[in-house]
Amino acid sequence: MTTVTIDGKQIEVPEGTTVLRAAQMAGISIPTLCDHPELTPYGGCRLCLVEVEGARTMQPSCTLPVSPNMVVHTDTQKVRDARKFVLTLIFSERNHFCMYCQVSGGDCELQNAAYREGMTHWPLQPNWQPFAVDASHPYFVLDNNRCILCRRCVRACSELVGNHTLGFEERGARSFLVADLGVPMGESTCVACGTCLQVCPTGALIDRQSAYRGKETQVETTASVCAGCSVGCAMNVLTRDNHLVRIESNWEGPVNGGLLCEIGRFAQQMEEHERISTPLVRKNGSLKAATWQEALDVIASRVRPLSGANGVAALASTRLPVEALSAFKQIFADGLESDMVTSLEEGASTAAAFKLANEMGRPFEGKLGDLANADLVLVFDADVTKLHEVASFFFKRNLQAGTNLVVVDRNENELDRLGIPVKALRGSQAEMLEALTAAKSGQPLDIHEVKTGVPAGKLALVGELLRDAQNPVIVYGNVDGADLKSLLALAGTAKVLGVKGAANSFAGALLGLEKPFQLNGHQAVFVALGDDEPSQRLVKKLTGAPFLAVQASYASQLTAQADVVLPVQNWAEQDGHYVNLDGHIQAAHKAITVPEDVRSNAAALEDLAACLGITISGNWREQLCQRVSAAALEG
Amino acid sequence: MTKPKISSDWLAGCAGCHMSLLDIDERIVEIAELADLRSTPVTDLKEPDESGVDVGILEGGVNNTANEEVAHKFRKRCKLLVAFGDCAVFGGVPAMRNMFTLEEALRRAYVETESTDENGKIPDDPELAQMTRVRALNEVVPVDIHVPGCPPDPDVIYYVLSELAQGRIPEIKGDKLHWH
Amino acid sequence: MKAYRSMVLVSNDPGSIQAGAQDVLTTLQQEIKAFGLEDEISVSTVSDVGRHDAVPMVVVYPEAVIYGPVTKQDVHYLVEEHLYKGRIASALQAPARELSGRIAWLQNRKGTLPAEQRIVLERAGLIDPDSLDDYLLHDGFVALGKALTEMTPADVIAELEKSGLRGRGGAGFPTGTKWKFVSRTNSPKKYVVCNADESEPGTFKDRLILEGDPFSIVEAMAIAAYAVGADEGIIYVRGEYTLAQERLKSAIQQARNYGLLGDHLFGTDFSFNMSVHAGAGAYICGEETALIESIEGKRGEPRARPPYPTTHGLWGKPTLVNNVETLANVPPILRHGAAWYRKFGTPSSPGTKVYTIMGNVNLTGLIEVPMGITLREVVSIYAKGMKPGSTFKLAQTGGSSGSIIPASLQDTPMDFDSFAKTGVSLGSGALLICDEETCVVDLAKVLLNFFRKESCGKCNPCRIGNQRAYEILTNISEGIGSLKDLDDLNMLSEYLYQLSNCGLGQTAGTPLRDTLQYFRAEVEAHIRLKVCPAGVCPMSGKKH
Repeated sequence: MTTVTIDGKQIEVPEGTTVLRAAQMAGISIPTLCDHPELTPYGGCRLCLVEVEGARTMQPSCTLPVSPNMVVHTDTQKVRDARKFVLTLIFSERNHFCMYCQVSGGDCELQNAAYREGMTHWPLQPNWQPFAVDASHPYFVLDNNRCILCRRCVRACSELVGNHTLGFEERGARSFLVADLGVPMGESTCVACGTCLQVCPTGALIDRQSAYRGKETQVETTASVCAGCSVGCAMNVLTRDNHLVRIESNWEGPVNGGLLCEIGRFAQQMEEHERISTPLVRKNGSLKAATWQEALDVIASRVRPLSGANGVAALASTRLPVEALSAFKQIFADGLESDMVTSLEEGASTAAAFKLANEMGRPFEGKLGDLANADLVLVFDADVTKLHEVASFFFKRNLQAGTNLVVVDRNENELDRLGIPVKALRGSQAEMLEALTAAKSGQPLDIHEVKTGVPAGKLALVGELLRDAQNPVIVYGNVDGADLKSLLALAGTAKVLGVKGAANSFAGALLGLEKPFQLNGHQAVFVALGDDEPSQRLVKKLTGAPFLAVQASYASQLTAQADVVLPVQNWAEQDGHYVNLDGHIQAAHKAITVPEDVRSNAAALEDLAACLGITISGNWREQLCQRVSAAALEG
Repeated sequence: MTKPKISSDWLAGCAGCHMSLLDIDERIVEIAELADLRSTPVTDLKEPDESGVDVGILEGGVNNTANEEVAHKFRKRCKLLVAFGDCAVFGGVPAMRNMFTLEEALRRAYVETESTDENGKIPDDPELAQMTRVRALNEVVPVDIHVPGCPPDPDVIYYVLSELAQGRIPEIKGDKLHWH
Repeated sequence: MKAYRSMVLVSNDPGSIQAGAQDVLTTLQQEIKAFGLEDEISVSTVSDVGRHDAVPMVVVYPEAVIYGPVTKQDVHYLVEEHLYKGRIASALQAPARELSGRIAWLQNRKGTLPAEQRIVLERAGLIDPDSLDDYLLHDGFVALGKALTEMTPADVIAELEKSGLRGRGGAGFPTGTKWKFVSRTNSPKKYVVCNADESEPGTFKDRLILEGDPFSIVEAMAIAAYAVGADEGIIYVRGEYTLAQERLKSAIQQARNYGLLGDHLFGTDFSFNMSVHAGAGAYICGEETALIESIEGKRGEPRARPPYPTTHGLWGKPTLVNNVETLANVPPILRHGAAWYRKFGTPSSPGTKVYTIMGNVNLTGLIEVPMGITLREVVSIYAKGMKPGSTFKLAQTGGSSGSIIPASLQDTPMDFDSFAKTGVSLGSGALLICDEETCVVDLAKVLLNFFRKESCGKCNPCRIGNQRAYEILTNISEGIGSLKDLDDLNMLSEYLYQLSNCGLGQTAGTPLRDTLQYFRAEVEAHIRLKVCPAGVCPMSGKKH
């Protein structure tokens, strides 16, 4: 610990703490612009300058580590004058004219800093050098005229996301933010995660969709969880007058630590679908508006007599909250005792893992957090960039610091270019696993080169990496039962992590919703679709079903062929819990209120249960604990 | 005690700041009782008394030689000069044209507008004021008080006027300070 | 070594090469053979001789006759006349007027100039820079051998501390102390970096050392590595110095072939390897932390300090960064001892300093003189006075971040401490001598124009401050400045120093400060009278 005196306050802080953080710990506020708690200190804006006794010049508190008996002054006239000067310079540089800026009035850190210093004007004048505005990106606009060159976005892009798209071109006053080597943002390697938007202190990077639609002071913020995939990113849904304005990540998110991907931040809200706003019942061949009671009665009258093995087939989307999935399982599997109760994914990415866990009698998978500390990541037949992209950020950002990446995938994988691609030309998954196991234990590899088509030298290299790694992690995708066992054997002490499907795949598996779907004389089908999209395959399979009831948020081919449709809420409109791919249970909250006729997925199912006279328990946690989990449950 | 004299005028702006001034509503009577309102753009008297006034208030940036003249006249005749609104303080919306050359701005305004026919022409009468880069008032003459805002809030204007009318220098900070 | 009757050197700087120096060299070798003189006369190349008006040049020793420009066709006549018949081929002699740098030194050898003292340039111009044999014959690698076989690393550092050597890059930090900082760190990997990104306008001292005596830097870096416990060295050479890069690469290769670089040098456990890294044209990369970022492949932006490179440098490892001239002092110090070194210069700034003299003086070029000599002495003795009809107005030292020295400070000894006392800086060793025809506003404008373009753009004060200062100076030079501008310039200069992240920003305000301190009346004339007393500024009254 080191003792320092800041503004007369003596405080003890751990060695290496910066003066800025030490001051913050002591409750002393120092204005900053380029500093961001999630990014490494930069020392560019110079707004946080303080006086340090004995120092020749003023010192930036954000980069200066404390030293024993350091005496710091943060609020002298000299410091205040310097801050005003720094702000004057920034305002004199580019188009920092608040009256035409979308972040003016609370959302701009530059403006707030100037207000804090009581600046009514600035004494130096700009030279009016305009920069081009880059509006080529589908989700955001880059206006270099508003940029204060703090490099928060550049640091976020490289340090947090590991994408290294943003950088600076030119020198001095002509410096400006560019994507890649100066291509339009929309044509760059940008993965549209939007982290740069969130860290930009000014109006230089603004969200197309939410620009001018609501300042921070005008919006309501609801903590939620992304339902885009099974990573389970915590996020904040910003709404104004019951309209979704934008989605921001939650820096406190236990799983994602403040990151989101394109799907989480932008894509979900950009989708436009026709809503179903009232229950529909097929009468004389066409769907007609009905009351909830009517609709539920029709379903109940058709379903009630069909109790037993091949009576009612039931499918649920794993985008539904656990509450709904638990009710669904209790109605159809426990209440009606059907033999065909499953999820839309049919356990594609979970069944093997859960089967193995139950055989072993314990969870065997690691945690997403392991990826952040891994010195070797081996991706095995898993696509971690299209879906589950945030998981890829956790290791992409460490690649420059020396983390090794091996991509074993016979298909094209976007990660190929970042690591060592191992492409099997022939042979099975099992043979590839054998080859890798042989490589790890240093056995002759010629035979494996023949079997897999991967050069023995490359296999040997991967084997060496596996042997030498201190914290290796294997991320696997679709791997079947026996092969999964081989993979686990290959891993040894390495952590393994399976990517799952949709947001609640994990919960679906815990509830046993993982059978392959088959219509086998079933007389009625119930699909709890929620806000999911039905696949063509499903639509085809269900064509000609004797009776089809669907609960859905949006109109689709499936609802068009249904006999009864129940209108339900989408991800932003309902409360509920999600279990992510490594067993974190997280709560999502309702951000938007919808008309009474559109019920939550759980409520719709509870109403159906009541109508059928089936008693269900609201204790979903208990329901989740009936099987051994692939990864330990948390939260 | 004689009442302090106040004059105002507008330069390159939209008159919005003066509109905001009128938005202080009935409180203007209070100001009129405390101070002697002399020349303003909405009164008959068109320029500050040659004998001088106590407070001069200028809205708008300085964008031509005529504005320059008014600015200098105000500086000469007013003990305290107030830059009133963002345009006077920073250059404001008119200053957006500084991002282009004068020629480009004039062409856009007089020749290329959607409502201009083929006879559109940049005015060139020698009697007209010469266009310049749009400048903040303090680039042209020393300014004593800056009241930013686009426009300044009526409550802020009332506060500034009543302080000045009572011989005090207003302090623009905290809630009273805004640039938008 | 064979004894030769005469030694012929062909200039080999980029200018000479472009003018056909290679052809001259080949022809010369052929002609000497043709006359059967190859056993009597040695032929080699020599770096820049300090003048570019008559390249390529051929210098013949021991007479020290300079011929130039010499064409391929002239060579036969030259060899026949001078080398065969022993008569000076006066028709080919370089014009005698406008002698500069290297030539001035040749003259000095003949006793026409007062004591110039060559330590770092002891071999430059005397030996073939591409020949390790030549270097070895001139005491090359003696210092490294002595260090490795007779001294401990601590002894080397102690000797350096005793010598009082201070960094010649501009800041004047005691070199021995810096070495001690690095040697004290406990890291299995350390680096030695030679900062050869010489980019200060008007400064070319390092280039002459690199081109004329590249092995001395190789040797010095090996000594430094031994002293601080490093095993890898990198010379970061300014991108434009292509000849220096070639020479260094060749020197490293030759040293490696001779076992003077590599493993177990001089039969000891000490191993050292080095490489050349070319800069890409950014002035800021001469700042040591920006230089390190650049070597790491990143945008050349100075880091925040602390931590300093001595503890967290290249790839996060302890790193010693020294300027070329600083390093060039090391082998002579070890060879002759600290006491010998202290005979030169002043007690607080021992040794010599290499200056590059430019401007309106009779003799421009490069000199190496003891520390503590005054500016007046440099101008009147080495530069042979101001050009006829001009009077000394000011000198600008050390490239752009140097000071402006008015006539009143001409008699201040040029050493670190005396300069610090008067508030001026020695900078990188460029001396731009200006006469009354120079306008201070224009001079400051030129300097600020350089800074605003070369600022890396990382920190606000330097990036924006230099730009604003340049614009204000432009306004003043065009007759549309105001007296408020002077306050703004003063404020900018002070804050640039106080708030900037690195040396570039911190010193960029110096020309502003000095101009306003020593020449305020002249600047005010631009504003009040709309007149440029020197008649340089456009004063167009044009508004922007």
